[in-house]
Amino acid sequence: MSELLPRARFRLRGARARHVVLAVRIVAGGAIAAFALSTPGFTSPLSINALLNAISLIGCVAIGMTFITLTGNIMSLCLGATVSASALIFLASLSFGVFPAFLIAILFGVVITAVQGFLVGSIRANPILVSIAGLSLLIGGAALITGGQRIYPSGEGLQMFKGRVAGVPIEALYFFATVVIGQLVLSCTRIGREMVMAGSNLRAATAAGIGTTRAITCAYVIAGACSAVSGVLLAARYGSGDMELGAGYDYTAIAAVLVGGTSIQGGSGSALRTLVGVSVIAIIEVVLLLRGFSQQLQYLITGIIVLLVIMLHTIGERH
Amino acid sequence: MPILAVDGVTKRFGPNEVLKNVSLSLGAQEIRAICGENGAGKSTLVKIITGVHAADGGTVLVDGTPTEITDPQHAQELGIALVAQELSLAPALSVFDNIWLGNREVPLFHRRKELRERARAALEKVGLEELPLEAPVSRLSIGRRQLVELARMLTRDARVFILDEPTATLSDVEIERIFAALRALKDEGKSVIYITHRLGEVFQICDSVSVLRNGELVGTRRTAEIDRAQLMEMMLGRSLREMYPRYDSRPGQPMLEVRDLWVPPVVQNFNLTAQRGMVICLAGQVGSGATEVLRALAGLAFDSTGEVGIAGQPVQLRSVMRAQRAKMQFISEDRAGEGVFLRLNVGQNLVATRLGDHSRLGILARRGLRATAAKLAAAVGVDRARLRSQADELSGGNQQKVAFGRVIGGDEPGVLLMNEPTRGVDVGARADIYRLIRQFCDRGYCLVMASSDIEEVLGMADVIVSMYRGRQVATYQRGEADLHRVLADITHPVAAA
Amino acid sequence: MRFAAKLLIEPNKRPFTIMLAVVIVIALMDQGEGYFFSLGTVFSVMQLFATFGLVALGLGLSMLVREFDLSVAGIVGLAGCIAVMTGVSNPWLGVLFGVGAGVVSGVIQGLIMTRLHLSSVGVTLGGLLTLQGLTYVLTENKTISYPNMAVALGLNAPIGGLVSVRSVAALAVFVIAALAMTYTHIGRDIIATGSDRRASRVAGLKTDRVIISVFAASGASAALAGVLLSYSLGAASPVALADVLPTAAAASIVGGVSVVGGRGSPLGIAAGVLTLCILRSGLSAIGIEPHVHDLVTGAILLAIAVLDAPELVQRATAWRLDRAERKA
Repeated sequence: MSELLPRARFRLRGARARHVVLAVRIVAGGAIAAFALSTPGFTSPLSINALLNAISLIGCVAIGMTFITLTGNIMSLCLGATVSASALIFLASLSFGVFPAFLIAILFGVVITAVQGFLVGSIRANPILVSIAGLSLLIGGAALITGGQRIYPSGEGLQMFKGRVAGVPIEALYFFATVVIGQLVLSCTRIGREMVMAGSNLRAATAAGIGTTRAITCAYVIAGACSAVSGVLLAARYGSGDMELGAGYDYTAIAAVLVGGTSIQGGSGSALRTLVGVSVIAIIEVVLLLRGFSQQLQYLITGIIVLLVIMLHTIGERH
Repeated sequence: MPILAVDGVTKRFGPNEVLKNVSLSLGAQEIRAICGENGAGKSTLVKIITGVHAADGGTVLVDGTPTEITDPQHAQELGIALVAQELSLAPALSVFDNIWLGNREVPLFHRRKELRERARAALEKVGLEELPLEAPVSRLSIGRRQLVELARMLTRDARVFILDEPTATLSDVEIERIFAALRALKDEGKSVIYITHRLGEVFQICDSVSVLRNGELVGTRRTAEIDRAQLMEMMLGRSLREMYPRYDSRPGQPMLEVRDLWVPPVVQNFNLTAQRGMVICLAGQVGSGATEVLRALAGLAFDSTGEVGIAGQPVQLRSVMRAQRAKMQFISEDRAGEGVFLRLNVGQNLVATRLGDHSRLGILARRGLRATAAKLAAAVGVDRARLRSQADELSGGNQQKVAFGRVIGGDEPGVLLMNEPTRGVDVGARADIYRLIRQFCDRGYCLVMASSDIEEVLGMADVIVSMYRGRQVATYQRGEADLHRVLADITHPVAAA
Repeated sequence: MRFAAKLLIEPNKRPFTIMLAVVIVIALMDQGEGYFFSLGTVFSVMQLFATFGLVALGLGLSMLVREFDLSVAGIVGLAGCIAVMTGVSNPWLGVLFGVGAGVVSGVIQGLIMTRLHLSSVGVTLGGLLTLQGLTYVLTENKTISYPNMAVALGLNAPIGGLVSVRSVAALAVFVIAALAMTYTHIGRDIIATGSDRRASRVAGLKTDRVIISVFAASGASAALAGVLLSYSLGAASPVALADVLPTAAAASIVGGVSVVGGRGSPLGIAAGVLTLCILRSGLSAIGIEPHVHDLVTGAILLAIAVLDAPELVQRATAWRLDRAERKA
């Protein structure tokens, strides 16, 4: 490697960079928390409820997206469609019973993403391209099978996925369970560590004998399972489904991942960070609502804050 | 009058004085080598000349006039051109486009006849007359690409060409082409600064050599007036022997057996047997196949075929996982690209291959991993305090030690494959690494390394296998071959095996 | 057979091969009924081209420099709204402000990316959300109508039954882009930046400037698409073209643009867009349901993903050799 070429000027390096970034994050987080807590009505049960609802459905998908980003595969544009399709499958399978329907929906989500993950992991097919192909195939396939009609539940049992338990919306419980499971996988399992290594430096992971195909496929499988969970919860909430259910989820999910601080280049991040990211976005939305900002301004301010936070996170990183 | 000179140049980075009062001057039509160990200050000196850094003391003189070179653009305008190891060609573009890439004077409509003629003329001067202007650079060999880069510099009216390790990645035929181009440049009145570790080339192509050591200029001599041993002495400041550990190798049981190894497109019919405790060096330049043999044994060559056995058990190629299960581990020469996980901490790097040993039902036993990381760090001499720091904060030498630490420490010593073990590593760490190699061989490891550094090969090897163009030339036990013999084998063997 | 395979595999020729193949297949399916090869079909293809083509061009240009401009989806809506709001009396004014907004958005994002060394996904994602937000604010979440009916009708009126002012405008932009890329050093600089940014910078190219210019161009192109669309619909809505991103990306990739940069051309992108438009219009012209279009597009994209996969050959060879060894 040549030592002779000039290096870019604006770049913080090493430990000092990390301290600066941490400080900035703490200050920003504190500012948001202060802003939120000083808003009248923020701590009311109604608003907490709205918050939890906003977080849970998109949060599951965001956790799934985190795994894809962590393995260095940037993002998937197909998870939203996977959410919708899983919802359809769940509703259509309710005649088999609620628990089998749940399993079938998860299985479906897993298979869809496993194929994508295998292509990306084994022959290094471009992940964005594969996800767009998957998106097209899912939309086309769903239209083929349903004929464009809304799907209604074919059986009973939706109660398991909606309503409240001990005052907490059940969707939030599923979401927090997803966060916990996701984080456990990442920090405590071998496959989780292998995913992070594959994302950090794929060539080094291969040379070190790590099963990168297996790790990447597993990451995609988890993403599919998370999306399927979100789909089931959505189906339960609305009582019917079509392919529009999950539209646009991909962008919000990746925004949550990046706001939480997971690196778009892979190798650095966690499910907990995505939890923070999802929460920050939802808190800002709720706070703006409570403070009387119009819906338009909510969108705009949320967008600007997302941009600023993403910029903040990446300043300390190498490009 | 010298074209380029530095007078009393000093440079400091924080508390380190990297260059101390260096003065040298380069005349017209002169090819000057600059030699020195890693960390001697060569690259800092070049950075000052090319405008990347500013000197803290002393002056730079261009055509005898003291000049402050403000940035690389300014250096180019003064006629100082750098050809770095990482070439600056865009592979997707043609030769013509690459020659004019980034050139300020090119007009908007850029395919004028005049530009084509000038490109053609520049290519002729470097010996690439028959190369079509529209050829895509991605199809050219590295040697040809370097010549295209030289041609680009010519179109920018460069007068001083600085080449940084130009032949490190070239085959012998391509090296000859570069030399021919440099001689042609010299005849045209240009001057060349040639930075290299390869002392043989210093005597082949250069008129004179300046030696840097620890930031000071040891001296400048005409190559006709000194010999290789004197040059080495100037560079190291001590005799060769102190670098390489003394030892007595006692060959153990047979460990590695390679038969009929083919690695397309280079290696043909390679055979090798090695015992425990031995250091086998595959000596050869780029393209000789030494690196390819190692990577194939490591499982990184998807199209390699052959029979490999470790301690009597057959091992299948083409899979890193299979090689590792057979206790064959690989250390790459490309640390940043293929060795170290820069974002992870040192401890995580060290145990990267040990996850299976410390996991039950897929769950990691973190305490066991931490203990292993500490043990490995101690074994290779990395400070325990570093375990939690990120790998990208380490020096090259420490990173190499981490790479080493990752592959040792299993219960059963196996085969270690090391490619260019000390590339980019400074003097102190090199000696440490050689010591580590010996330590582990004493414990029963069998080490096969590929190196293009003949001194290193002679210093370390129990068995030397010289290679040329994918074939084994000869095999020597320790003491049977000397520098000239091995050099001859790997550059132009009399009878290829 | 070899020749056909080469045409499919070689990325420069592939978009035209695919387009031709699609035309032939649909024509065959038409069985000579004449639904496909009709003026009406061509017109509807070109109208679709006018809508998606410029967005695909913008996204494709950003992919050429190894970036990914997610914000094109947002600028389409915003530019449409700005044009409708400012272009009532003088439509050219609306074009000016709309396209200007696109350029400004591209330049700002380009500056953020180059000065702070950020990757485009994060910045353009934030840009997308911000632009969508701006659109909502400007329109106060309502659909704004464009009363200048003459312009709306004029833009979409068929010329010779084949094209309209809108599609001609889109074609013209493509032609200009193609000429600029071939005959000026702009094309060389863009490909160089995408193929190896570090090397280009060392060679003296101002890659920052190239990237900012590319994002300005991509913003302008998508903005023009939005302006023309809004004018022709007679209204601008905050939720214009929500699914435009995957379609534009698919069009660029089918058009030979490599997602990792350094490969592609405006004419290729045009072929890619045309292919998707032909699929959509052609299949519905012969009476096939629209979801087939999605399935076929998905299949083509999957095939390209596999064919272009960097390690396809490696895996296949290793697998083949393993099998041979097991048999021996």
